[in-house]
Amino acid sequence: MIILQLDHVTKQFGGLVAVSSVDLEVPQGSIFSIIGPNGAGKTTLFNCITGFYRPEAGRIIFDGVSLVGLRPDQIAALGIARTYQNIRLFGRMTAIENILVGQHSRLKSGLAGALFRLPRTRREEQEALDKAHQLLDFVGLSGYGDMFAHNLPYGQQRRLELARALASEPRLLLLDEPAAGMNPKETEELMAFIRRIRDELGLTILLIEHDMRVVMGISDIVAVLDFGEKICEGTPQEVRCNPRVIEAYLGKGAA
Amino acid sequence: MGLRTGIRMGLIAAIVTIFLILIGVHMLMGRLLQSWFRVPAHWPGVWLMVVLLGMWAGSRAVGQMKARSWGNALLAGASAGIIQGALVGAALYLLASITQAGVDLRTWLNQMSKESIGALTLGFAPLPAAGFIGGVLLVSALAGAAWRERRLRVRAARLARGERMISLREHLLEIPAISQVSNNPLSRRVLIGVFMVLLLIAPFFLGQYWNYNLGTVGIYVILGLGLNIVVGMAGLLDLGYVAFFAVGAYTMALLTAPQPHHIQMSFWLALPIGIVLAAVAGILLGIPVLRMRGDYLAIVTLGFGEIIRILSKSDVLTGFTGGPRGVRNVGHPVLFGKDIGNEFYFFYFILIGVILAIIITRRLEHSRVGRAWRAMREDEKVSQAMGIYTLKYKLMAFAMGAALAGLSGAIFASRNSFTGPEDFVLLVSINVLALVIVGGMGSIPGVILGAFVLKGLPEMLRELEDYRVLVFGALLVVMMIVRPQGLWPASRVQLERPRPELAEEVEAPAELAEGEVGS
Repeated sequence: MIILQLDHVTKQFGGLVAVSSVDLEVPQGSIFSIIGPNGAGKTTLFNCITGFYRPEAGRIIFDGVSLVGLRPDQIAALGIARTYQNIRLFGRMTAIENILVGQHSRLKSGLAGALFRLPRTRREEQEALDKAHQLLDFVGLSGYGDMFAHNLPYGQQRRLELARALASEPRLLLLDEPAAGMNPKETEELMAFIRRIRDELGLTILLIEHDMRVVMGISDIVAVLDFGEKICEGTPQEVRCNPRVIEAYLGKGAA
Repeated sequence: MGLRTGIRMGLIAAIVTIFLILIGVHMLMGRLLQSWFRVPAHWPGVWLMVVLLGMWAGSRAVGQMKARSWGNALLAGASAGIIQGALVGAALYLLASITQAGVDLRTWLNQMSKESIGALTLGFAPLPAAGFIGGVLLVSALAGAAWRERRLRVRAARLARGERMISLREHLLEIPAISQVSNNPLSRRVLIGVFMVLLLIAPFFLGQYWNYNLGTVGIYVILGLGLNIVVGMAGLLDLGYVAFFAVGAYTMALLTAPQPHHIQMSFWLALPIGIVLAAVAGILLGIPVLRMRGDYLAIVTLGFGEIIRILSKSDVLTGFTGGPRGVRNVGHPVLFGKDIGNEFYFFYFILIGVILAIIITRRLEHSRVGRAWRAMREDEKVSQAMGIYTLKYKLMAFAMGAALAGLSGAIFASRNSFTGPEDFVLLVSINVLALVIVGGMGSIPGVILGAFVLKGLPEMLRELEDYRVLVFGALLVVMMIVRPQGLWPASRVQLERPRPELAEEVEAPAELAEGEVGS
C-alpha cells in the first residue's frame, strides 16, 4: 500500500525550478531515502510535503488525503512529523516540555480547561506527562528531562528532536540528514534506532541523507534528485550502479 | 599590565567623577542619605559617593586584568587611584579657586553653587582640598583593588576545588531556613499566608498617600502580567498595549459617568463589559496585525496604540468619547449601598485583580496553551510543524493580554474618577514593557518586582526632583548591562519524576547544567 504519493510536484522560486515534476510513491512501512547533491531540491520537497511551501503544480496525497493547500499544523495533525537538518529545538524549554509540545495535536484542552483546571484537562496532562517520560526513556534521555534543550550536548539534541517528532504519533516520519555531524559509532546506533522505530512503531520513514553508508545500509528504496529532477529510483544496489547517479555525484567522464 | 589597565581605568573614573560633580550628583546623594536614613548633615552622602567611585575604579582595574598577583593588583589600584585622584583634585582646585575669586559658576553650570563646592572642599583652601580629595580617592581605589583581588582569589580557589559556580539563588538555598521553606510545601504556604495577612492589614497603617501609590503599582502589575503573556510567553512584541488599557478605561468611563452618555451603569456591570470589550479589541486588532513578525509587528502595534488615543480625542468623536477633555465623574464601586471608591478600598480591589492575574498566568503557563505560546516564541516555523495553529494561538495570547489590560484600565478610570486621552500615551506602553524586561521576561515574581522598581521606586525618589528621570535612566542602563535576564528571571519547571533506577545517571546532567549559570 502506498502511504505517500507525489504526482508531478513542481516548486519554483522566481525563475529557479527547485523541484521539477517529481513523482514518488512511498510504500507503507518502508524506509525510503532521497539523495542527491547539495541544492538538488531535497529539503524543498520536504517543505512541500509538510505544507511550508505550496507547489505550483502536482498533487501530494497522504493516505488518501490531498495535502496541497493545507496548513502545516493540519498536515502535522494528519500524522506527518519531521526533524531538521540543523537541529531546531525549543531552546529555552526543557526536554520534557519539548516532547509535550510534540504531542500538541494529540491533546485537546484549551483555555477554559487550563484556567479552571477541569478534571478532563488534568487527566490529559497527566497522561501526556507519562507518555513524555516513556519517550524520554525510549530515546535514552532519562535524567535529562528537566534540562533546557539548548544546554544538551549535540547528540542528545538530535535524540530529543526525534523524541519530539515521535510524540505526535506520526504515521510518516520525515528525517532531514539525521546522521549529520555524527561519528561512525553514533551513526551505527542511529541506523539501528531508525530500523527499530519502523519495526516497533510501524512507521514509514522518508529520509534525506548524505552519508552513503546510512542510505545503503537501511533503505528499502532510494530516489536520486539532481537539479530538482528525479533521475533514478530503485533498491540501493540498482541506484549505486546507475551511470546517471555517478555522473551527478562525480561529474561527467567519471562514469 | 597592571599599570596600563590602572591608568586607563583611572582616566575613565576621573571623567565620570568630574561629570557627576559638575551636575551636582554628590549633593543629591547627600540629601538622599539625609532624608532616607535621617543623617543629620549632607557630608556623609557626599563623601560616600566619592569613596564608592574610588573603590569602583580600583576594583574595575583589577577585574580587567587576566593574571592574578597581589603586586599587580595593588599597582593597578594605585595607578587608577593616582590618576583619578590627580585629575579630580585638579578639577576641584580649579572650581574652588574660581569660586573663591568671586565668579558665580552657576551662570554656566547651574548646580555649581558655593555650597556644592563647599561640600567637597570642606572649607579648606583650594590646594589642600584638592590634595584631600585626591588622597581619599587613592585610598579608596587601593581598598577597592584589594577587595576585588581577594574576591577573585576566593572564587578561583572554589573553582580549583571543583566546586561549580553557584548562582545567588543557590547561595540563598544553602541557608537552612530558606531551603526549609522552599522545599517544604507547608512552610511555604505558611509564609505566603503571613505575607497575605501583612498585605491585608497594610492599608490600615499606610495612609492615603501610600495606599494610592501601592494601588498604582498594583495596576501596573496587572498590566505587566498581561503584557508578559503577549511578549514574555508568546514572544509577540506589542508596543501598542496601552490601547487595550484605554478600551477598558473608556468602557468603564462611558458606561458609568453622567456625561456624555447618561447611562450611569453600575461599576460591577461595567467592569466585565470592559474586560470583554478589551479582549474583543485584542482579537480585532490582532487579525490584521498578527501576520507580521518581530520588528514589523512592533511598529504596526505602535501605530494602532496611537490611533486609539488620537481617535479618543478627535473632534469627530467628541460627542461619543468626551474628546480631549476626557470623561469626568466616572462611577465608583458601590457595595451594600456604600461608595467604596477611595484609595483604601481600591487597594483591596486591586489586590484581588493582581491575585486573579497571577492565578491566570500560572495556570496558563504550564498548560497546553502556554506551551504552545512558548514554542511559538522559540521557533514559529517548527511550532507549526508540531501541529500548532499559530494564528489561533497568537490571537488567544493577544486576547488574554488585552483582557487583563482591560481589567486594570477599568479599575484605573474608576479610581481616578476621570479618564482622558492623556492617560494613554505611548509612554504607558513603554513603561509596562520596561517593567516586564527589568523584572524578567516570562517570570511572575519578576513582573511584580519590576512594577515595584519602575512605579514604586520613582515615588521613593521624589527627593531627587529633576534628577528622577536621570537616575532612573541610569538605573535601567546599569540593569541591562549587569543583569540582562532581569531581576528575577523565569525558572525551569521540574517535570521529570525522579526514578530510583536512574540514581547514578542523574549526576551527569548536574554537571552539564553549569553552562546555564548566568545565561
